[in-house]
Amino acid sequence: MRKLGIIILALLATAGPQLFAQTSAKPIAIDFWYSMGGANGALIQSMVKDFNDANKDIIVTATYQGNYYDTSAKIQAAVASNTTPHISMIVDMHNAMFADAGVLENLEPFMKRDKVDINDFIPGLLDWSYYNGKVVALPFNRSTPLFYFNKDQLKAAGLNENGPQTWEELRTYARKLTKKGERWGFSCPIDIWFYLGMVFQNGGEVLSPDGKHSGFNNEIGTKPIYFWREMIDEGIMKLPPGKEYNSWDVAMQDFLNGKVSMIMTSTGYLYGILDSAKGKFNVGTGFLPKSKQYGTPTGGANIAILSGKPAKETEAAWKFVKYMTDTPQVINFSQKSGYMPSRKSAVSSASMQSFFKEKPQFKTAIDQLYEAAKRRPCHPNYPELDKIIMDEIQRTTIDRSYTPEQAMKAIDAAIQRLF
Amino acid sequence: MVERIGEKRKHKAQGSGIKNYNPLSPYLMLLPATCGLALFVVYPLVYLFRASFTNRSLLKPTAKFVGLENYIELFHSVEFLSVIKNSILYAFLFVSFSIIFALLFAVWLNRPGRIWSFAQSAIFIPYIVSFVTISLVWLWLMDPQVGLLNTLLGAFGVSYPWLSDTKSVIPSLVLVSVWKYVGYYMLLLIAALQNIPRDIYEAVKIDGARARTVFFRITLPLITPSLFFILVVSTTEALRIFDPINIMTQGGPINASSVFVYFIYEYAFKYFRIGYASAAGVILFLIIGVLVGIYFNMLGKRVHYQ
Amino acid sequence: MRGNKSMNIGSKRGAIIINALLLAITIAIFIFPFFWILSNSLKTYDETMQFPPQLLPKTPIFANYKAALDSMPFLLYLKNSIVVVALTLICQFLVIVPAAFAFSLYSFRGKGLLLTLVLFGFMLPQQLTFVPIYLLFGKLKLLNSYSPLVLPFAASSFGIFLLRQYFMGIPTEIIEAGYLDGMNNRQIMMYIMMPMAKSALFSIALVSFITRWNDYFWPLVMTNTQKVRTLPIGIAALRITDGKTEWNVLMAANMLLIVPILAAFSVAHRQIKEALIHSGIK
Repeated sequence: MRKLGIIILALLATAGPQLFAQTSAKPIAIDFWYSMGGANGALIQSMVKDFNDANKDIIVTATYQGNYYDTSAKIQAAVASNTTPHISMIVDMHNAMFADAGVLENLEPFMKRDKVDINDFIPGLLDWSYYNGKVVALPFNRSTPLFYFNKDQLKAAGLNENGPQTWEELRTYARKLTKKGERWGFSCPIDIWFYLGMVFQNGGEVLSPDGKHSGFNNEIGTKPIYFWREMIDEGIMKLPPGKEYNSWDVAMQDFLNGKVSMIMTSTGYLYGILDSAKGKFNVGTGFLPKSKQYGTPTGGANIAILSGKPAKETEAAWKFVKYMTDTPQVINFSQKSGYMPSRKSAVSSASMQSFFKEKPQFKTAIDQLYEAAKRRPCHPNYPELDKIIMDEIQRTTIDRSYTPEQAMKAIDAAIQRLF
Repeated sequence: MVERIGEKRKHKAQGSGIKNYNPLSPYLMLLPATCGLALFVVYPLVYLFRASFTNRSLLKPTAKFVGLENYIELFHSVEFLSVIKNSILYAFLFVSFSIIFALLFAVWLNRPGRIWSFAQSAIFIPYIVSFVTISLVWLWLMDPQVGLLNTLLGAFGVSYPWLSDTKSVIPSLVLVSVWKYVGYYMLLLIAALQNIPRDIYEAVKIDGARARTVFFRITLPLITPSLFFILVVSTTEALRIFDPINIMTQGGPINASSVFVYFIYEYAFKYFRIGYASAAGVILFLIIGVLVGIYFNMLGKRVHYQ
Repeated sequence: MRGNKSMNIGSKRGAIIINALLLAITIAIFIFPFFWILSNSLKTYDETMQFPPQLLPKTPIFANYKAALDSMPFLLYLKNSIVVVALTLICQFLVIVPAAFAFSLYSFRGKGLLLTLVLFGFMLPQQLTFVPIYLLFGKLKLLNSYSPLVLPFAASSFGIFLLRQYFMGIPTEIIEAGYLDGMNNRQIMMYIMMPMAKSALFSIALVSFITRWNDYFWPLVMTNTQKVRTLPIGIAALRITDGKTEWNVLMAANMLLIVPILAAFSVAHRQIKEALIHSGIK
């Protein structure tokens, strides 16, 4: 008996390492698609490298796939041809569509098992994370609109250096700051993002409580447009030309050139603005001015795992997603890129708190996120509604004979059709 | 000697000269091209056509047949009708201006000498540069407030809204496209001009004809093959335009610059409606097909070959 | 060409001056935007944002070029761009030449149909065809290789058409002469017609080179990994959405895309002119 035992032990001793070696053979290859170029793209690559170094059994390959919409296009083609990546960044508005088609992995069981607390994520950023009771994506690079102003110009005009807090204050400040021919008080792209913010500030929601009608087919929706129109007509608000990102670029340029005193634009521009304004003027940031309350929509993209992969790979993919959305990485990514930190624990961390002291403007953005972020409806047809609202509000600004009331009606009709 | 598409070679009495060939030869020679066309032209076309009758989404393995619903929705859509109008307007302006300017430049610059050669090259350079690069630069130049163009115009006390107004956006886009393509068309026309035998002009000079008559009665007809080629190529190019709209205007302001391919791309990939987008694609294909057909059947007759 | 004989000396000088002015303005209109790209590629970010816009940087800096080169695997992309162009030209040659011979010289059933299919190639934009073709290459497991970047362009409608036109313009007497010399069909095609078509082929190659080199959309959607990606993608990555685009670096990156093709063009520009002249659509 003992001899047998020794033989078995000997066998195990020689064969054992081989058994172990087989389980940790080749690293599992995981594909991660992302939509950022430039410095943020490089940041993601370095985070991926750190993960790969720390997890020798997994090798994540991250590849740039174009902007948000190109990436979505590619994911669709990939789904149809069964060549999907394991993980991808998905622009917020598209998460519902992919979830609805069942191509996103349910993260809830993973989170439960690994004790990743969904409640640690900032509630305002979870609008595109839930679908049909499942957790389909986690916030990754999220942004909000922010109110930026030229502190020096405000000071010189005798105005409160904390910026306007209400719509009416915005109007009076813009009046005081406008120098005809030289400078506008305020500029804001006529973009659905900022418009929705104003709807939220007016106490409105995108959808009615039953989810079938417009939540702002009344004064709540028309007041922002009249407000903008009045300021444009008075000559105190400048309309940046162009659409979407082109007009945001122009707004930022004008602000940096001192031609506009106050703008509304994305937190995504915060670092760029702070950088370029250094030595020229002091940049102040504030909540988007309130009407009845403060309110802001969110934007940016989430990170999701695509379903249909072998269990081992999905497991490895989860490990990566868990890593990227874990507090230390959230802190690192947020501080370096200027995107919103997605977790409360990240915000309250010592590292972030001292970071806020250096960059108080960043803190303002996060405070607004906590206090005033409102969700947009997580619905597959939302992207089309987004475009319709954008077209309608642009139309009311360019074609004065088209009333805001007509626009609201058209939007309501669209909601009824799409939702 | 020109061949009209679909017509058998009836008119050439002596054929092309080639004799005693294995009847399989042409088929063998066309095999690679046929494979290519089958895979990369016919197959996508069939896919498109089929998808246009469904509510296909790439994300779902099966799709529901919806008959003509997509087409009906398209023709009731204010946006799509705008797309048709914009595309045709853009194409018309682009083709007219690029041919007119190509002709003007060709006649003007078709002289020996370094400076003329340099000018030809200068005008040709935009053609070899990526449309993406060109769109980025012109986007910048055309900014109504900080762009160089309005700064220059400002010196004369005028300003132009360029891409920011619904009425000026298409002309602005046409300006950029013509700027890019005119050099290539010009070179084709210069080539055609240089291929006209001198003796024709000598003969006419003896008759004492005026320059203008010479141009319209003799030069122009002799370069019609090139003009025809440019017409076909520029029309198909114009109706398939995408990059400048994608980069400079995103279809705006308010869909004033939304053209076919941009509309299709948006609906397919931003709103996930491949069936609907395919229907628009089929319509685009038919429009181009009809135009090319018209060109070949009506204008092809007026093309003079030597 | 236009007769000046009827003008007197005075207005002739006037004409020369106007001519020169127009010429200068025209050349400026076409060259200026590239000058603008170059100038901005040498500026600091602040200088690019300046208003009113400044024509020249205060002191040119080259940091943008370094930043652009660092932002992408430049040599890999450059290599891929060159390989894709070269492979496309080779495949096109192998496909277009026999096709053009067949269309121009032979009579056969189905000719009209096939010619119409060739024309169809002019009528479909990439944004429409990419989905079915992507699915096709996905099934064949050829994504992320050079195949999807090259093969779809092999049967170039433009090339087949142009070459066919050209061959049809070759007088039958020349072919007859070949027979008289005792050549067979293959020899006539290869030793008589092909050499005459050199410039038409060059013309087609030129257009293919330009379109493949500058194509951003197709390589982006047909490849999911860096391995076979081409230069335009590296440049597109520098255009930031939802954040500040560094225009000076973006312009430098665009210069990186333009310079090789400009260089090739300036080296070959005389041949190009010759080619276009002799390839004449007769």
